[in-house]
Amino acid sequence: MKKHIIINVGRQLGSGGRIIGNRIAQDFNIKFYDKELLDLAAQESGFDKRFFERNDEHKGFLKVLFSPFAPIFGSSNPYANQLSDESLFKFQSDAIRKAAEKDSCVFVGRCADYILRDFPNKVDIFITADMADRVKRVSETLDISEKEAEKKCIEGDENRAKYYNYYSAKTWGRAESYDLCINSSVLGIDSTIELVEDFISQKLHL
Amino acid sequence: MSNPSSPLDLGILPVNKLLGQYAVPAIIAMTASSLYNMVDSIFIGHGVGAMAISGLALTFPFMNLSAAFGAMVGVGASTLISVKLGQKDYKSAQHIFGNVITLTLLLGLLFSAVSLIFLDPILYFFGASAETLPYAREYMEVILLGNVITHGYLTLNSVLRSIGYPRLSMNATILAVIINTILNPLFIYGLDWGIRGSAIATVLAQTISLLWQMKVFNNPKELVHFKRGIYKLKGSIVRDTLGIGMSPFLMNSCACLIVILINRGLGHYGGDLAIGAYGIVNRVVFLFIMIVIGLNQGMQPIAGYNYGAQKYDRVLKVLKVTMLWGTLVTTLGFLVGELMPEWCARAFTTDKELIDISAKGMRIIVMFYPLIGMQMVTTNFFQSIGQAGKSIFLSLTRQLLFLVPLLLVLPQFMGVKGVWLAMPMADAISCIVTGTMLVIQYRKFKQLAVKTS
Repeated sequence: MKKHIIINVGRQLGSGGRIIGNRIAQDFNIKFYDKELLDLAAQESGFDKRFFERNDEHKGFLKVLFSPFAPIFGSSNPYANQLSDESLFKFQSDAIRKAAEKDSCVFVGRCADYILRDFPNKVDIFITADMADRVKRVSETLDISEKEAEKKCIEGDENRAKYYNYYSAKTWGRAESYDLCINSSVLGIDSTIELVEDFISQKLHL
Repeated sequence: MSNPSSPLDLGILPVNKLLGQYAVPAIIAMTASSLYNMVDSIFIGHGVGAMAISGLALTFPFMNLSAAFGAMVGVGASTLISVKLGQKDYKSAQHIFGNVITLTLLLGLLFSAVSLIFLDPILYFFGASAETLPYAREYMEVILLGNVITHGYLTLNSVLRSIGYPRLSMNATILAVIINTILNPLFIYGLDWGIRGSAIATVLAQTISLLWQMKVFNNPKELVHFKRGIYKLKGSIVRDTLGIGMSPFLMNSCACLIVILINRGLGHYGGDLAIGAYGIVNRVVFLFIMIVIGLNQGMQPIAGYNYGAQKYDRVLKVLKVTMLWGTLVTTLGFLVGELMPEWCARAFTTDKELIDISAKGMRIIVMFYPLIGMQMVTTNFFQSIGQAGKSIFLSLTRQLLFLVPLLLVLPQFMGVKGVWLAMPMADAISCIVTGTMLVIQYRKFKQLAVKTS
């Protein structure tokens, strides 16, 4: 019987994390979830997908400051309103947990490594890359100038870090939060994938 | 009780029934906390005197400020704990709980220390006179010494709610109200402790309630409980707690600022008794406001869920029903304030002049109350459907944007009457703004409701 495994891929924006995660899923022949998670979350909650898109890997300070759900008179259950950021995260994390229990999968981002922390056969990976490579990749995929791409990378990292640090009990991008952290610029995407797959096989005795 | 209905029920069960389920407990809690304050005023008014009522009214902004700090930690804490419990991450929840206790102690002690050192200048700034200052000081000294207890009690109440015991948290509030009601006459009449007796009763009531809460958290079987090694502050937890708590903190501070402006205006143009009169009027009308806030809390989950699930007809239904009830409540406040203000004032004092000023003031303040229900429900409605900006803007129109200029300008021409009049004027203008935004939003929903059905 095939072993039930979970691979979580954290990544800097533009580091090639999505490509790497996707290839790993293909090579191990397991499911792949990136943006697709938002569909799962929408299904889980019965809410429209746009609520999850608006909230996707964001938790900015201003948003916290003007949190519409912070009650003025002290009562404070963020789950009381199911459209609160916290509720939406709960729906999404329930969806992630369900998907993980059903099949072997690769999850990209969305605190999946934290949400599935008690899962037995799992590997948490974090992908970084040199800024030049990231800018190049982002500007090509989105067809924007390099300057804009660099801004996007920096903002994207900030958002992901805030989101991750708020909802998980770990720190985004810090080595101790993951099993393996790797800079995809050093070996290039293909060799990085090979190395990561080898690491996964060894850790999970595949 | 934390979840009277499962999420799915929110989209199916009759809106009326849901609103009852969610709003009634919230209304009870709100009424209880507003009675808490009323009891103090009533006993102080009858047992100590008219000047003492004014002295007490001077301390309102202080109480707001203290509540602001308390809420900052309490709200932040319970939100973070809820998030971690939602992930079944009990260890992290435990750590947050410990950090929150430390933060509460630190902030509580700091607030007491700073306030006690500068007590007299602060009270003068709040509008005290040589006659009213002693009362305000006597009362505040005790309250400030017990401030850590108050904060601890509020924080633990928040946490109780977040770990799934809303009923225990409500019981703790009611327990404090009952003890306070028993001790107040005992200390004021029985032991002749004056206004200080009332403050001691308040602190003692909260102490007993706090001890009872601590008993709950002392049980190691609870998801979060007192435990060694969780109290050392961690940067990220402190930052997140204070970050989330900032919004309720600012709102409460804003309330504090407004009361200072009102009291100063009343004191300047009308004298000490006018401040006392506002204290009485405030206690009475606040009861109605708090009931609407309870209704609003009940509406939140229903409106939020159905908006998310795109059931716009149900969103409109709950908005209409809540608005109807809200308007009924504030209209009742209007009738009470217009028809029997003397009767209300007499509950607090026997002083002829004070009754007279209070009655006049109350008639002015409740002038536009029949509209306020709509204003408050709409403001909260925008909040329920995630439109934070609109909600905060509308809430500020009534409490800050229009009120502050009116408070500063009107008295220049009309004297003390201008201070009283500023409040209903701000209400009226903000109702117009709110009504306009409501109509626009309502049309949008109508279109969407047609489209989706």
